[in-house]
Amino acid sequence: MQSRQPILLNSCARAASAEELRYRIDGPEPEARAARVIALDPGAEEVLEGLQGHPWRSAHFLAYRPGNPVITGNGGLPDVTLEPLRGAGALRLSEELEGADMVVMVATASIGADAAAAIGEACYRRGIMTGGVVFGDEIDIGEAVLALRPQAQVLLVTQDHDDLPEILTALRA
Amino acid sequence: MLKPEINELITRTGPRTAMGELFRRYWIPALLAEELPENDCPPVRLKLLGERLIAIRDSAGQYGLIDEFCAHRGVSLWFGRNEDGGLRCAYHGWKYDVTGQCVDVPSEPEDSVFCSKVKLTGYPLVKIGDVLWTYMGDPSEQPPPPEFEWVHVPSDQTYTSKRWQESNWLQALEGGIDSSHVSWLHSGGLKDDPLFKGAKGNQYNLNDMKPYFEVADADGGLYIGARRNAEEGHYYWRITPWVMPSFTMVPPRGDHPVHGHFWVPIDDENCWVFTFDYHPTRALTDDELQAMKDGYGVHNKYVPGTYRPLQNKDNDYMMDRDAQKRGETFSGVWGIAMQDASLQESMGPVVDRTKERLVSTDTGIIKARLKLRKAAEELRDHDATPPGVDPAHQRVRSAAVVLPEDQAFIDACQDDLVVTPGSKHASV
Repeated sequence: MQSRQPILLNSCARAASAEELRYRIDGPEPEARAARVIALDPGAEEVLEGLQGHPWRSAHFLAYRPGNPVITGNGGLPDVTLEPLRGAGALRLSEELEGADMVVMVATASIGADAAAAIGEACYRRGIMTGGVVFGDEIDIGEAVLALRPQAQVLLVTQDHDDLPEILTALRA
Repeated sequence: MLKPEINELITRTGPRTAMGELFRRYWIPALLAEELPENDCPPVRLKLLGERLIAIRDSAGQYGLIDEFCAHRGVSLWFGRNEDGGLRCAYHGWKYDVTGQCVDVPSEPEDSVFCSKVKLTGYPLVKIGDVLWTYMGDPSEQPPPPEFEWVHVPSDQTYTSKRWQESNWLQALEGGIDSSHVSWLHSGGLKDDPLFKGAKGNQYNLNDMKPYFEVADADGGLYIGARRNAEEGHYYWRITPWVMPSFTMVPPRGDHPVHGHFWVPIDDENCWVFTFDYHPTRALTDDELQAMKDGYGVHNKYVPGTYRPLQNKDNDYMMDRDAQKRGETFSGVWGIAMQDASLQESMGPVVDRTKERLVSTDTGIIKARLKLRKAAEELRDHDATPPGVDPAHQRVRSAAVVLPEDQAFIDACQDDLVVTPGSKHASV
């Protein structure tokens, strides 16, 4: 049977006009993304501290402190202890990942590959998207890039500190 | 997601807009050289950056791009006669040279100097490669001519086409930066297209549908690397350079010619897509050239006698649901170029970026928007020369390589990502 040809403007590709744009359903504002932003070194923690004043919708800013051991948690999933920025108090990665749908790892210097790998695997096995942002000159951050590359589905290497808030805003964090 | 005012800022390119001023700091493609094929040929009407213009080639072979409308009564000079060193208005015979300077007002007395006081806005138009380039900004800021490799290789090694796209320039450009759609929308082309098929890299593409991405700053824009699994301990990298404001190159495949695009705003709801293929070290074969002219690769077929794609919104892009069902095309639209254009046009003339839901694989797009916004603001507020103006920033190449897992593409491919005349491009 021959398919029917469209007879109305809104039933064919010509409906991509400015006029027809008025009829797009004006749905509610998309929900915020449950983002966890994790500093992997002291320099990265400073970067995140600078972002805390922004009106984030649901982002949690956390720090991994070198020396915190990687352990095997429930279900054989790797787990690490995280800490709030500017403070002490243990937070478990596994608890922070409950309900999260995006994790951004941030580094400025050499970082523990074990921690990055643990966070990366914990996210992968839970189906959580991962991103990495490494600040600094290529020459100085090679190890951080190397450690994060296998763990971050997207890795941004940059010297522009505006990139992180821009990404988090664009992702509705 | 962008705030409405930022979406406005980075999409609007008319006169006196921030992004319009940014574009007016670069040489941009205006026409194909074939559009003005000989001295005293018919003038060509065109609109660029929201300005109505006429392109002419005079009796001496000089090119010019001037205001479309006669200073006398506002008549379109497209009706004019191109003869004896200028374009004469068909209404009362006023005549203009390639700079827009009026050189004759027939109604004035013989010795009148009146015409010397009449000048239309005019922009330089120069032929480099198969393209006529213009610079529409302040003459005192005019940069050196463009140095993109595709217009500097010998003429038998390069081919350029152009097509009209019915959307804002930015959503078209973003398609060139967004490598993550390739595994889906263009998956059919890797097997059959004569300008892609046969490359070893295609198998890496088809075997790994979830690439990881790495975005690295460059002096003139960005490099976006997409990596897929290759042999044990190795990754297959496809690296796309973006040079500001709107030049992108597609990573090559095997010994096929390498291709790319320059996205040029016509106005805020339309753009020209200049599409090129070239090979750095050899002439294009007859078969390759014919394939390009037939719309394969990243080129397209045309409505005869125009630069409008044959597949367009008025015929639903010749959607073929059977081909879609058979898996020959993912979207049912034939050809890489129109697969992209059909979807980008469907977004609407200027997509509302306040509604979008980006994901982390869109980081390249997010970063590019930020760079554009910053460059426009820096130019507006501090008169800062934007990235990409320096010809050195334009001497870039795309690359497709297999690297050990522990190597960063930006380090390992330093030499591959810049032009070395006479050397082959890095391609798998």
